[in-house]
Amino acid sequence: MISSRWTPFLFLAPALAGLLIFRLTPILVAVGGSLSGVSLMGELRYVGLENFEYLADDPEFWESLRTTLYFNLLINPIQLAVAFALALLVFRPLPGVWFYRTLLVLPMAVSTGISAVLFGLFLDGNLGPMNGFLEWIGIGAQPFHRSHDQALYTLIGIATWKGAGYWMLFLLAGLYSIPSTVYEAATIDGANGWQRFRYVTLPLMRKPMAFVLVADTAINFLFFAPVYILTSGGPSGSTSVLMFQAYRAAFTFSDIGRSLAISTVLLGIIAIIVVLEFRFMRSPEEAK
Amino acid sequence: MQIGRRQFMAGLATTTLLGSIGRAGAQSTTLSAPWMGWPEEQVAPLMAAFEKETGIKVAAERLPIAELFKTLEVRLQARNEIPDVYLVDGPLTASYAARGHLLVLDEMLADDLERFLPSTLVQGTYDEKLYAMPLGTSTQILFYNKKLFAEAGLPEPSADPAKRMTWEEALSIAQALTKPEISQFGIAFENCNPYQLLALPQSWGAEVIGPDQLTAAGYVNGDAMVDAMTWYQELHQTHKVAPVGTFQTGVTQEMFGSGKLAMIVGGTWNLVGFEKFEGLDFGVAPHPYFAKGTPVTPTGSWHIGINPRTAHMEEAKAFVRWLSTRDAMDLWFELRQYPPSLRQIWEERASTNFIDPVWEIVQHELEHTATPRPATPGYREYEDFLKTAMQDINTGADVRATLDRAAQNIDREMRKYR
Amino acid sequence: MDNPFQKPHVLMLRYGLLSILAFIVVFPLVWLALASVRPQNEIFQPVSDFGWNTFIPSRFTLDNYRTLLNGDFPLAVKNSTFVALTTVLFGVVVNALAGFAFAVFDFRGKNLLFLLVIVSFMMPFEAIVLPLYVMIRAFGWANSYQALIVPEIANGMVIFLFRQFFASIPRDFYEAARVDGASWFYIFARIAMPLSWPTIATSGLMLFLAQWDSFFWPVVAASDSAYAVVQVAIARNINFEQNDWGGLFASTNLAILLGTIPFLLIQRFYVRTLISGGIK
Repeated sequence: MISSRWTPFLFLAPALAGLLIFRLTPILVAVGGSLSGVSLMGELRYVGLENFEYLADDPEFWESLRTTLYFNLLINPIQLAVAFALALLVFRPLPGVWFYRTLLVLPMAVSTGISAVLFGLFLDGNLGPMNGFLEWIGIGAQPFHRSHDQALYTLIGIATWKGAGYWMLFLLAGLYSIPSTVYEAATIDGANGWQRFRYVTLPLMRKPMAFVLVADTAINFLFFAPVYILTSGGPSGSTSVLMFQAYRAAFTFSDIGRSLAISTVLLGIIAIIVVLEFRFMRSPEEAK
Repeated sequence: MQIGRRQFMAGLATTTLLGSIGRAGAQSTTLSAPWMGWPEEQVAPLMAAFEKETGIKVAAERLPIAELFKTLEVRLQARNEIPDVYLVDGPLTASYAARGHLLVLDEMLADDLERFLPSTLVQGTYDEKLYAMPLGTSTQILFYNKKLFAEAGLPEPSADPAKRMTWEEALSIAQALTKPEISQFGIAFENCNPYQLLALPQSWGAEVIGPDQLTAAGYVNGDAMVDAMTWYQELHQTHKVAPVGTFQTGVTQEMFGSGKLAMIVGGTWNLVGFEKFEGLDFGVAPHPYFAKGTPVTPTGSWHIGINPRTAHMEEAKAFVRWLSTRDAMDLWFELRQYPPSLRQIWEERASTNFIDPVWEIVQHELEHTATPRPATPGYREYEDFLKTAMQDINTGADVRATLDRAAQNIDREMRKYR
Repeated sequence: MDNPFQKPHVLMLRYGLLSILAFIVVFPLVWLALASVRPQNEIFQPVSDFGWNTFIPSRFTLDNYRTLLNGDFPLAVKNSTFVALTTVLFGVVVNALAGFAFAVFDFRGKNLLFLLVIVSFMMPFEAIVLPLYVMIRAFGWANSYQALIVPEIANGMVIFLFRQFFASIPRDFYEAARVDGASWFYIFARIAMPLSWPTIATSGLMLFLAQWDSFFWPVVAASDSAYAVVQVAIARNINFEQNDWGGLFASTNLAILLGTIPFLLIQRFYVRTLISGGIK
């Protein structure tokens, strides 16, 4: 291990200063704010754990927590798997592969909010081309985000449409970082395609995959704009994730304390899950 | 005669005051004013006219509608001198006022209030004080596609408010105009917002909020409300004369414009919105009502308010006062055609702009049937839950259970205002 | 290159799969692009009329784009480009330095500091926007480029990305250079960075897109029309009373095309030779 007393801090200083001022301090204020209540006229007072007790008694909160966990249980593995599959497909040289790669990453230049507006129109039951297409190929029109049963899956679809190409890039960068000599050695040892993938590629892709999984988890727990724009948490509460509850508490109910309490709970949940993901993704040597 | 004198006096006072402010503003104060994201050419001329007259600049920040509300929350909750003035959505007046985000305007506008149509002042008023001055108002009318009526051999609805259609009649006409095989629908409301739909239960005879303006249980889920909203749901789910999932004005407009919707209940802004459909020939009729009840129409629009913490109090007041003048309101009507809130504009333009039957209907509704949304400090909460409930009802959720849940949620959030 | 991927049927399968996936991704965008060159009154086609006319305009028009060019969209593009490129310029260096420190050095409080880096992207932005706004105002930065750029330079996710990739470069590399007397900064700039082109390219893209897509913060911190950014200009077409679909589609389409240019520029870095040549 390399160690040096001051050098690491010189390297860290600019980034940490930025994070400390523009992220960590506001986060600290926000977490502290979860212990406070703001009166209608704006007076701040300390209320201890009152906001959290309120949430504990609120069935909407628990329902929303379940929805959030279910959403993430599905979307994170799906996005990682799709992104990995895409990365493998466009990794090796192929005439025209740059063209496919470009097509696959186009959605990342659409902001999340606009992608929601776009899909709201694209999937619209009366004017959207998607339902026309589905009827034309014989599947029949679907209600998508307007139905209690399909809304959450529609949101997962939209997020994956936007995210898969983006996350693919990180895995692609990972694949390119694996020295070709490693493969050559494995081939000489007589490993077939699957064995090379399983015993060479996968272990060496651990770090990029951990990055994608952790970053994606944080982003998807904070997934919000499409809920707000397309479903307002509905139909009948089926897409009411915690972020939406936090948003409503702050911007509609003027209850900042409760909103920050929900955000703090979210922070806690994401932290726990990310720690689990780190453990899951680390290599056998690191685990020892 | 009396009005003439009062206006003269008001005009004189305004001129004097503006003159003095004009000098004070020579150091070029700039007012920060979060504004709607209307096209630049509908916003800038108003600000330019004010600057020309007083030397005070107004930096109108044109924000998309959802961001306007979000940004206002962030700025106002920071409780500092920003913004100086801001656009207030009529029914949110009480919410801002109850939280100390609006200056009382009564004293400042004391001599001017009679120049406004009374129904337009209601929404800017909370606790019997005027907090936000109406820049205009709105109403809802029935637009119909003349060609589709002719094809079906139906007589066109009358534009005379005295011969207003009932909803029962509207339903049977809509049935005759619905052709599922070519996805043609009979009728739709332009969206599912309470602004749009509360007129249904109100016409049915429902009280939509308790007399204390804070109670939802028994009102939002009262029998009359449930019956009226069941009727609304049947329009979409049983009779299938109305398209499901029409939550967005922009989309419903397109359906009407492309001839796939025979009737649409919508605001006067559609007059501009429909212009782009070249082949569209439409007529207008008053908002229908239930035979058993009374005619009720939605109303309310944008107001202007002053942040009580502004560092430019005199300039902010001058701006609001200027906006209340005939000239400013006339210019504003030129820019965006909301039904005016000043009587004078109605009178002056009676023979030019307002010859269309549309404006006769609008004027009639504003004077007789316009019913403002509940003046509750919890309107944001009320509207949010009710809108979600109305959307769920539109797409087929159980009406009573949905309204029960909405009432329970609203009451829970209203507690803080008690 | 090795064999099984070059066999004809495998090749066909790859092209087939790629084509299907690309179709799914591109279908909504093609519709969007074609709708943006339609006359305003026929942007939408009823579901029952699905066919070629759902996509092919009856009359081709650039009216929507012409309107955009005469409005504030060009200014918004200029602002967003400036803000995004400046953020990339500073952000890549600042975050790479931090990522390098986490990957290579051992120091007191390393785990705690890294935890803080991770935590920095776990809080909803809506929860920190109020304190951040108050802070920016206290700095006197409201309505300025600083407000849009400075808070976005240090980015926990980008630091994390660099850490992951720097950590996969074998340590002997650095040790060897140290023995030769190289300074740590030299090692960072001359050994670690050149070995990490795909990562640098990706992180630059990340920072660029974060700014290109940003919406809520610009609205709050710099809503003066002189600082309009792309996403705000797009959203102005969505209006409660009346939407300008043509304007929305055209501006979204331009935002996608312009936002993809950085990817096209960096695509050349997605090749293996750069790094495999280095590590032996």
